[in-house]
Amino acid sequence: MAVGSRMRHVIESQQFPRSLLEELFVRAEEMKREPHRFMGRLNGQVMAALFYEPSTRTRLSFEAAMLRLGGLTMGTDNAREFSSAAKGETLEDTIRIVSGYADVIVMRHNEEGAARRAAAVSTVPIINAGDGPGQHPTQALLDLYTIRDELNRIDGIKVAMVGDLANGRTVRSLTYLLSKFKDIKVWFVAPPAVRMRDDLKAHLDEHHIPWVETEDLDAVLPEVDVVYQTRIQKERFDSIAAYNAVKGVYRIDKHALEQMRKYAIVMHPLPRVDEIDPEVDGDPRAAYFRQARNGLHIRMALLDKLLA
Amino acid sequence: MSVTQRRLKATVMDADQIRRSLSRIAHEIVERNRGTGEVVLVGVVSKGDVLAQRLAAILTDMERTVVPVGRLDVAEHRDDRHLRQPSHRATSEMPAIDGRIVVLVDDVIHHGRTARAAMDAVMDFGRPRAIQLAVLVDRGHRELPIRPDYVGKNVPTSDSERVEVLVEEEDGVDQAVIVAG
Repeated sequence: MAVGSRMRHVIESQQFPRSLLEELFVRAEEMKREPHRFMGRLNGQVMAALFYEPSTRTRLSFEAAMLRLGGLTMGTDNAREFSSAAKGETLEDTIRIVSGYADVIVMRHNEEGAARRAAAVSTVPIINAGDGPGQHPTQALLDLYTIRDELNRIDGIKVAMVGDLANGRTVRSLTYLLSKFKDIKVWFVAPPAVRMRDDLKAHLDEHHIPWVETEDLDAVLPEVDVVYQTRIQKERFDSIAAYNAVKGVYRIDKHALEQMRKYAIVMHPLPRVDEIDPEVDGDPRAAYFRQARNGLHIRMALLDKLLA
Repeated sequence: MSVTQRRLKATVMDADQIRRSLSRIAHEIVERNRGTGEVVLVGVVSKGDVLAQRLAAILTDMERTVVPVGRLDVAEHRDDRHLRQPSHRATSEMPAIDGRIVVLVDDVIHHGRTARAAMDAVMDFGRPRAIQLAVLVDRGHRELPIRPDYVGKNVPTSDSERVEVLVEEEDGVDQAVIVAG
């Protein structure tokens, strides 16, 4: 947990005080701008990637971050099937063993709360790379870093969260982070079936962050600085008909861009299916590929903070 | 000395980023001042005046009213003028500013000494209701109690580096770069 600028584990986005966020963002910026300055920072240190759920970009960007800092990586892709978990070993025992081999453990797990359980027994830092429907704090860090990088500020921004807000852990983690800033306003644009859960709305109320729930994306687009688009998760709908009824509703295309402010940005945690038309990719406001690239630098900054 | 003669360390803004930053600053100016009815843009020679012209074009397009633009040569007001070679004076051109909100526009803010000089220079032309400051790049290291109201991008730098903004009108390209000092 973060105490002042000390940080041991990365479990949930609420744990980051503003001062630490700012420190990480400045460091990420330096790493992006002058990567050669940081070569060899983590020479000889070892990162274990323990993935109980599939991931491509999170895992690869963590590995790239570690390698670029001079560290080494090892891991298992399908920890559930191909580790001792298949033989009945508890998560706690696995973590006890792996923390004897590595200097940091990056873990993705299918159960909410798994990262906290791991941290309780680990002798090295645990980084939560997604725990079921719970949180994905490093995605939130890179999202917030992208907003700051693109708009040069976080205080005062207006954000539309669009799509599947009930099941998207990235939206949850990012909203928790945003609640630490001033004069934020949030629009939740979602079909009724996948609205933002009440616990997060209550959290925003507690932090005096105004939020609006609506189904009318067109009305929101001219108002906001950030459109955070997410994939409607087909697997969560009761019937294909119900999914088909809403899947195309919130599509960011040329028409949507025309409604948006000239400087506003479109973000997406990726992968996208068809909720952002590829014709948007060429617009300078399409920030999602830059956002993905930022994942490398913010994870470098995070590993550096934990290990250097 | 041109950028090409020094060691280019990094590009901090490209043409798209500069365009979007100016667009955002224009929106912020409108929001802060509830329109542009009282706003006068004043660019600091030599890059600030180019940026002020572009901001004016964006604001005029947004608000459908023409925003007056001035340009300011602060050479006479700088606190280090005794150290500098006398340069070709670009003359200031100033619209009426009495009772108006003057938004000073400059490319880079560093120590804050140019901004202070610009405020002094503005006061020579009249008594604005308020002065605000817009910069494309804020590189920190302030030596005076001055903080810009509108910032394109904060770029933390070391004191030995230089930040240079290139504009298409003068340099053929829109770019902000860090060069070794």
